[in-house]
Amino acid sequence: MRRWCGQAFSLLAAIGAIGLLGGVFVSCSGENSQPSPSTTTDSIAGVDANANGVRDDVESYIDTTYAGQANADLNKALRQYAKAVQSSMIDADSQPLSLTHATERFRALECLMARRPRDFHTIFVDLRAQVLNTRSRSDAYLKADNQVKAENIPLLPADQWVTACR
Amino acid sequence: MGDGMSVKRIRWSLVLPLAILVGTSWSAHAVAQLPPQLACQTEAAPRTAIYFVNGVTTTLDEARLNGGKLEIEFLNKLPTMAPTIRAMCHLFFLNINPTSGAVNDFLEAGQQRLGLAPTDFWRGLEGLGLYTPDVIAQALQGPITAANQIDQATIQRHAGAYREQIASPSCRRVLVVPHSQGNLYSNASFDHVFGQMPSPPAGTLKIVGVATPVNVVRGNGLYRTSSTDALVNVIRLVLSDTLPANTNWGNSPLLLSPTYSGGHSFIGYLTAEPSRTQILTDMESSLVALASVNPC
Repeated sequence: MRRWCGQAFSLLAAIGAIGLLGGVFVSCSGENSQPSPSTTTDSIAGVDANANGVRDDVESYIDTTYAGQANADLNKALRQYAKAVQSSMIDADSQPLSLTHATERFRALECLMARRPRDFHTIFVDLRAQVLNTRSRSDAYLKADNQVKAENIPLLPADQWVTACR
Repeated sequence: MGDGMSVKRIRWSLVLPLAILVGTSWSAHAVAQLPPQLACQTEAAPRTAIYFVNGVTTTLDEARLNGGKLEIEFLNKLPTMAPTIRAMCHLFFLNINPTSGAVNDFLEAGQQRLGLAPTDFWRGLEGLGLYTPDVIAQALQGPITAANQIDQATIQRHAGAYREQIASPSCRRVLVVPHSQGNLYSNASFDHVFGQMPSPPAGTLKIVGVATPVNVVRGNGLYRTSSTDALVNVIRLVLSDTLPANTNWGNSPLLLSPTYSGGHSFIGYLTAEPSRTQILTDMESSLVALASVNPC
């Protein structure tokens, strides 16, 4: 058994090294991965000066990364998702509100898949990393998930995903 | 200053080719808009319920995207599938395997052992699961194929959903596509569905496993595990009866990206070749088998 464990963890170490090396050089969607300006604002809600439901640093990330008319629909879909996650984090103590916001997140993700069926996942990974940029926000996001772990959230079929866009 | 510039040059010299490769890989299977299924517009057409069951480090949002990826890839292939399959209306569902506690453990481990910032953690979550020994420890503690290693309430909830789909008035055949730890839940749910009276007709529930850490797929189901799936490879070192690898990701650049490193990601399995095509082919043959059974 010791031999198996030794091999297993040697392999893990090798994988870790490769992954970390990749992490140094590559951002999945090729986007800039600089830290957001308001990372220092540690509250879960952060700063939302224009009160549109999207944290200012996240809004700035979306506008910078997905600028221009060609990205207008995608930009809007990402704001929809960011707003739903923000609500999920803020209301993570409430089960009914967590269910409402999880459903909103599903609709936003369906919209994202309709807008970018090829590369939605890498776009999602990078945006979510921006939104969950502190431990307290990450914890709140996971708490919101836990509130709805036994729920059955309805899905839209693929041909209707575009109707989920707000 | 000079050193900084040279590091930047090295970074871009690596980033650009990789970004092009990744972009090429993504666009290879692309479609702009998925049309409605013709069979779904006919009330008399038989229905199938296709379930995605997520693995251990998959948040709710990722589970939705994994299920969406499965739907996109399946519907893209549907026009070339057997007429029997095209004549059926396929409805997609999620059976969530709650993993927020496990993700929280990984977050803790990522911060404490690797000093990772939350942003970096979330970027590498699917690869990060491999850096922490928790999953391996779980495998070492006991038989990973035993139902007592997983949550009984979740098994009952999943099994209840399948029984409801199969029973009247839905009368749907059920195909389950679990990823990673979701395979344990699917096997246990299968036993639960057919272990209770009245038992649904045999053959109305099939499983196509992906990245499976177990030694069997219930109901003679099919599976695909990649030879480059580092997580399952490690589990197989410990549990030698784990099902052998029977696919791979070819030379996919996804294996080098931080999001998909380790070769275990469901999105990766459904993007890289030949794993993508083989999983879809397994789904097709399972659906042909399901079509021959009447659930009601």
